[in-house]
Amino acid sequence: MTKFDEQAAQKLFDKNLITENQFTEIKAYRALHIFSLNTELKLFLYLSVLLFTSGIGILIYENIDTIGHIAILSLLLIVIAVCFYYCFKNSRGFQKSETSFEHPVLEYLVLAGNILTCIFIGYLQFQYKPFGEHYGLATLVPTIVSFFCAYYFDNKSVLTIGVTGLAAYVGLSVAPQDLLNNNDFYASQNLSYSAFMLGVLLILWTIYSNRISLKTHFNLIFLTFALHIISIAAISNLTNYDTLTWIIFTAIMASSIYYFYKASYDNKSMSLYVFMIVYGYIGANIFLFRIFQNVDFSAIWELFFILLPAYFISSIVLFIKLIKKFNKEITQ
Amino acid sequence: MIVYDKKMLDNEVLTDEAGVLYEGGFVSKEQKKFIEKELYVLKSQNNILVRIGFFLLGCLLFLSICGAISIVGLQAEDAYLQICCYLFAVVGFIGAELLATKNYHNHGLDDAFILGALLNLGIAIAITTQGYEAVIAFFIALGALFMFLRYLHLPSMLVFCLAATAFLFFGMFQFGGIGKAILPFTAMFFAGIFYFLTKRRINDLKEKYYYNGLLLANSFCLVLFYLSCNYLVVRELSSELLGTEVKPGTDIPFAFFFYVFTFVVPVVYLVQALKTKDRIMLWISFLAIGFSIYTIRFYYSVLPIEVALTLGGIVLFAIAYFSIKKLKEKESGLTFKPDRINHTDNFLNAEALVVASTFGMKPEVKTVSPMEFGGGGFSGGGSSESF
Repeated sequence: MTKFDEQAAQKLFDKNLITENQFTEIKAYRALHIFSLNTELKLFLYLSVLLFTSGIGILIYENIDTIGHIAILSLLLIVIAVCFYYCFKNSRGFQKSETSFEHPVLEYLVLAGNILTCIFIGYLQFQYKPFGEHYGLATLVPTIVSFFCAYYFDNKSVLTIGVTGLAAYVGLSVAPQDLLNNNDFYASQNLSYSAFMLGVLLILWTIYSNRISLKTHFNLIFLTFALHIISIAAISNLTNYDTLTWIIFTAIMASSIYYFYKASYDNKSMSLYVFMIVYGYIGANIFLFRIFQNVDFSAIWELFFILLPAYFISSIVLFIKLIKKFNKEITQ
Repeated sequence: MIVYDKKMLDNEVLTDEAGVLYEGGFVSKEQKKFIEKELYVLKSQNNILVRIGFFLLGCLLFLSICGAISIVGLQAEDAYLQICCYLFAVVGFIGAELLATKNYHNHGLDDAFILGALLNLGIAIAITTQGYEAVIAFFIALGALFMFLRYLHLPSMLVFCLAATAFLFFGMFQFGGIGKAILPFTAMFFAGIFYFLTKRRINDLKEKYYYNGLLLANSFCLVLFYLSCNYLVVRELSSELLGTEVKPGTDIPFAFFFYVFTFVVPVVYLVQALKTKDRIMLWISFLAIGFSIYTIRFYYSVLPIEVALTLGGIVLFAIAYFSIKKLKEKESGLTFKPDRINHTDNFLNAEALVVASTFGMKPEVKTVSPMEFGGGGFSGGGSSESF
């Protein structure tokens, strides 16, 4: 590989497309033969945290009656304390901008400590019911801890736990796999409205944090959650029998698509843009179907056979055009 | 053999290099744009989504051409059904050639025609030979190799590798029981030979055109070599093909060899990858180690799952921690510093998503279980084993 890379750089230089300084700099850098294990080792750390916390979770679940409760709780508490001790000791304190630890291991210690804290509080609530019947409180406390850790230590993974916790407090499950089998929204109308409110809240929070420039790199995560929550809530209500309901949710859908169209350009985020298009397309199709439902087509049904392929092709072309336009604008 | 203008292919290499250098911060954005403007290149799509979109469009185009032919052809009834797939394959070949002369490369449209041609070729041979697998695999391999050599089409190379392997397997089946019994060794043998052959070809290459395809074939050989004598694969395949049932207390023949193979090969890969600084081999070795662990756990429950997970987590943490400690200060060679040129942090971006799906909190229900927070524990454990 290196052989061809050097050849290519040489050719670029020969054609006067890069300057001599640049060429020598590139050659000097390539001569170091850097083989970075950065990604791999970080992935290992991350996997180890996932394995360890999953193991502890199952361990507690299976042995809930055999080991003493106090023993488990105190052991957990010790591990949590050790994790957070190191994190606090080495952190640079709270910063409004993006920050990171000196040592990459600490980032994962924060994650481990946080997940274990969640397990600890869950276990405590199950066994001793310190929050009594206020189950919401038992969700809210780990959520607050997560948000604190996320903002203090600047950790995106912990932030997602916080957001799922917040959604759980409202009564939603927004873990990705649950979002895909969105059963919740069918359960009650109110849940859809609270999902919408949560999404709006998240968006407002990103606008506010932009204004005071507080951890603006977190915005993408908030917006991603907001997009999925609002869109899925709206789409599952577009099929509602009640005319008023689905018209309201069509309006919600349209305005959210418009907002996220703007937001994805502002954040230069491809994933946000693509999901916005997909949700928008699904929503638009359901909307068209609802409109045509009331029209009598028996006379011209043959027309559909001609229109359908054309409709399909033009949607793909539109999709390609949109993506190309987006790509062009964000690279500028 | 290559249909494209060599000059354009060279330019493509140069613009790619400019992109890499821009990512590494060696050249400015304006310079990169200038280079791209200066050098005329083939029409290709770097964005995977756009490419998929064009691929779908290409499929529709291909289908409508085939449909138009069928409207005429169906008058001939049975005779037409015998040859229709050959006609479709020819359409695919002609389409691919036309698109290539119009300088489409890795664009999506050409993918549709090339892959469509290969698919129809396979179906056509299957109809003619009444499903004779070895012959089908042979012709698909031949077609795919042609596509790769002429149009530098990488997915075709993958098709070629798979078809060639299938040809080897079905060819061995022709020898009956003996062929099936020595299948693992034959596959291992061929994978080894082709590994060194492709390696040699890569080192001898003067131009970059075939580099990526050969690299793909080379990596494929590594994977095939490991899988060919992996204990789990051998045991399951032998019970599938030979119908041998392993009774308690007994084991498959040469079991010891397969056990040793399952554990030695990934380690050899790992050491070799670190020695030669080969990132693809490194990742294959990680996956192979994961699969070896899965192999053992598949037959023997060495430790209860929760203990295995916890201990595995601690061991992995220790390995990562000490490696980082050791590599942190190094400036060249093997290091922990992110590479300016090839940095792959896409995995790390997905981290937050995985955390959300494994440890995300669920809304409270009245029957509170202690699993509510670590709720994803089981699924997390399941997926992590494949690493």
